[in-house]
Amino acid sequence: MTKQSRNLAFALDPRTKLLLAVVANGMVFTAPLFYSLLMVVVASILLLLEEKWKFVCAFFFVYLTAGFFFDFVKNLDIGTSGTIILASLFLMYRIMPACAVLYYVITTTKVNEFLACMSRMHVSNKVTIPLIVMIRFFPTVYDESRAIGNAMRMRGIRLFSLRTLKSPVAFLEYRLVPLLVSITKIGDELSIAAVTRGLSAETKRTCIATIVFPNL
Amino acid sequence: MNISLKNISFSYSDSLDDAILKNLNLEIRSGECVVLAGESGCGKTTISKLINGLIPHYHSGTMDGDVLLGGKNTSDMTLAEISRVVGSVFQNPRSQFFNIDTDCELAFGCENLGMDPEEIKQRVENVVQEFHLEHLLGRSIFNLSGGEKQKIACASVSATGPEIFVLDEPSANLDLKTIADLKEIVSRWKKAGKTVVIVEHRLYYLRDVADRICYVKDGQIAEEWMPAELEAKGPEYAASLGLRCMNLEMLNSVCHPGAEGDRIHYLSCSQLRRDYQPCDDIASEAKQSIIFSNLTFSYHRKHPILDIDHLELPCGQITALIGHNGAGKSTLAQVLCGLQGSWRQKRAARKRGTYLIMQDVNHQLFTESVLDEVLLGMKPQNEKLALEILDGLNLKQYANEHPMALSGGQKQRVAIASGISSGSEIVVFDEPTSGLDYRQMLAVSATLKKLATSGKTLLVITHDPEFILNSCQSVIRMERGKIVEQYPLLGNEKQLVKAMVK
Repeated sequence: MTKQSRNLAFALDPRTKLLLAVVANGMVFTAPLFYSLLMVVVASILLLLEEKWKFVCAFFFVYLTAGFFFDFVKNLDIGTSGTIILASLFLMYRIMPACAVLYYVITTTKVNEFLACMSRMHVSNKVTIPLIVMIRFFPTVYDESRAIGNAMRMRGIRLFSLRTLKSPVAFLEYRLVPLLVSITKIGDELSIAAVTRGLSAETKRTCIATIVFPNL
Repeated sequence: MNISLKNISFSYSDSLDDAILKNLNLEIRSGECVVLAGESGCGKTTISKLINGLIPHYHSGTMDGDVLLGGKNTSDMTLAEISRVVGSVFQNPRSQFFNIDTDCELAFGCENLGMDPEEIKQRVENVVQEFHLEHLLGRSIFNLSGGEKQKIACASVSATGPEIFVLDEPSANLDLKTIADLKEIVSRWKKAGKTVVIVEHRLYYLRDVADRICYVKDGQIAEEWMPAELEAKGPEYAASLGLRCMNLEMLNSVCHPGAEGDRIHYLSCSQLRRDYQPCDDIASEAKQSIIFSNLTFSYHRKHPILDIDHLELPCGQITALIGHNGAGKSTLAQVLCGLQGSWRQKRAARKRGTYLIMQDVNHQLFTESVLDEVLLGMKPQNEKLALEILDGLNLKQYANEHPMALSGGQKQRVAIASGISSGSEIVVFDEPTSGLDYRQMLAVSATLKKLATSGKTLLVITHDPEFILNSCQSVIRMERGKIVEQYPLLGNEKQLVKAMVK
């Protein structure tokens, strides 16, 4: 997932990242398109500093293509169902910049830095611990989901097939039921591992990572 | 620090009527290394949870009796306090990491205990040296192999300096080489005067380390031996209790049992074994083989993960695929089954019909009933045939149950049934016996033999020499993405054990 050695030349404070994530989320629907674009540029620069070339290229390509696409279709008459599909696609398009920022925040924030910065901000452990479990969970969900996708392909259940078109709900069910079962189990095991290693709401943690604003 | 369990009864439900532990007493002296063995579901994992405080603090249930750690009752301590004296390592390397990189993971326990950052750094440095982890520093947890993860887990627990270590089936997902590393870690703890409690099916690697093996049955300590005592009683005796063998070199005789134990269930096991054709008979029948060519795969052009020109699998036989972690076994399985590789390889896989039974079968059970599961991949759907397949795998009575409600072994058989129904002639198994006791292993072995006698060709990735000797007819060994040797098992048993232990 993350790179072996991180480029420490430019590492944002976890608190800044958090602020960035909040701003990005807030801007998803309210801000004009120009600010969204700004957000994309900021996220891209940050990601490039982390040497995530592939992601940035792919993201830019999809985002710009989608932009031109929507510009092109907005004057066409495509009927009710077409409009619904288009509207939902547009929704995704507007969420994309926020996703890029979140991707940056999640892939570059170390768990212990995050814990330390939260406690520095006097946020209770009762809030932080569930939060980091969530962050820790994304890659796991991805891994599990891929394994399940493999199993489905072996059985001949594909996204683009007659069967899926006939019953898309069944497709989702096949994908989600085993995923839920396995991530519930993993979640339970993870929390067992955490509590047996002394993570609890009462004790105050220390942290080997130093988090200060270097320029202040 | 000594551990004493006094008159412990425990049940995961509200009443003690169906207790998993019944009036159990166990004294573990300071500095002792004790192995808890027994069949699955006998309550040995529950004992480990009592020691590391998960019972009564995490799992709910009804408990009677006291657990004392160095004279202190665990029910009066909090989990955080217990974690200062007890370090725990679990079975599944995938789910015991809280951080995403190794450095943070090593420091995690110490940070939780609120130690001084400078001291933590010192401690982490010490364990890194002690466990030789220099090459693992700064790595992402997701890029580590199972064995490396287990090492990091042990080291990070060790960093907090607990007096007691509790390990719950730590070897279940490891190959024989990393098990040797694990053994070294355990003996290092023992030398440092720590108390070690290990719940384990595989006993052989603890032969020289353990002071005592406690056999748990029906919620009580039924027997206790020194490792040498149990070994002297011979593999048949261990098998009759459902235990894995103590000495890999003695395995040969387990495969072809001459003398039989007197216990009832050992008889039923050997009955099971006799029901199907013994391995040697099948091997002697000359059958043709399936040939694969051009099995290559790489992420980077210069570093092929898999590089096999020619692979020959004997038809209707069970072939074991061995090799250390990272040798490319799983990649081979995925390429064979069309889950990785070029579109040409994928198309070939689809044509010949290859099915993979994953290590975690939960991933491949999708539907709401066992029957639906079998019907799903069938073309055209034929309920009668599906029921026949289920009957062949002793699953007919569960046809309308939800697959997720079944036991592990039953789930595995459902997955096999769905593979058969999709018309696959070749079935690949990814470690079907990891973490199983002797009896469960025999059951899996019986299922596989039955599949092979019905004409399917089986390739089994495994680290379990007992299983291979029990069920396979030939062996393929891989190293660095290549096949280094392939030989029939009959007459080469010594070679196999040697290659696996090396």
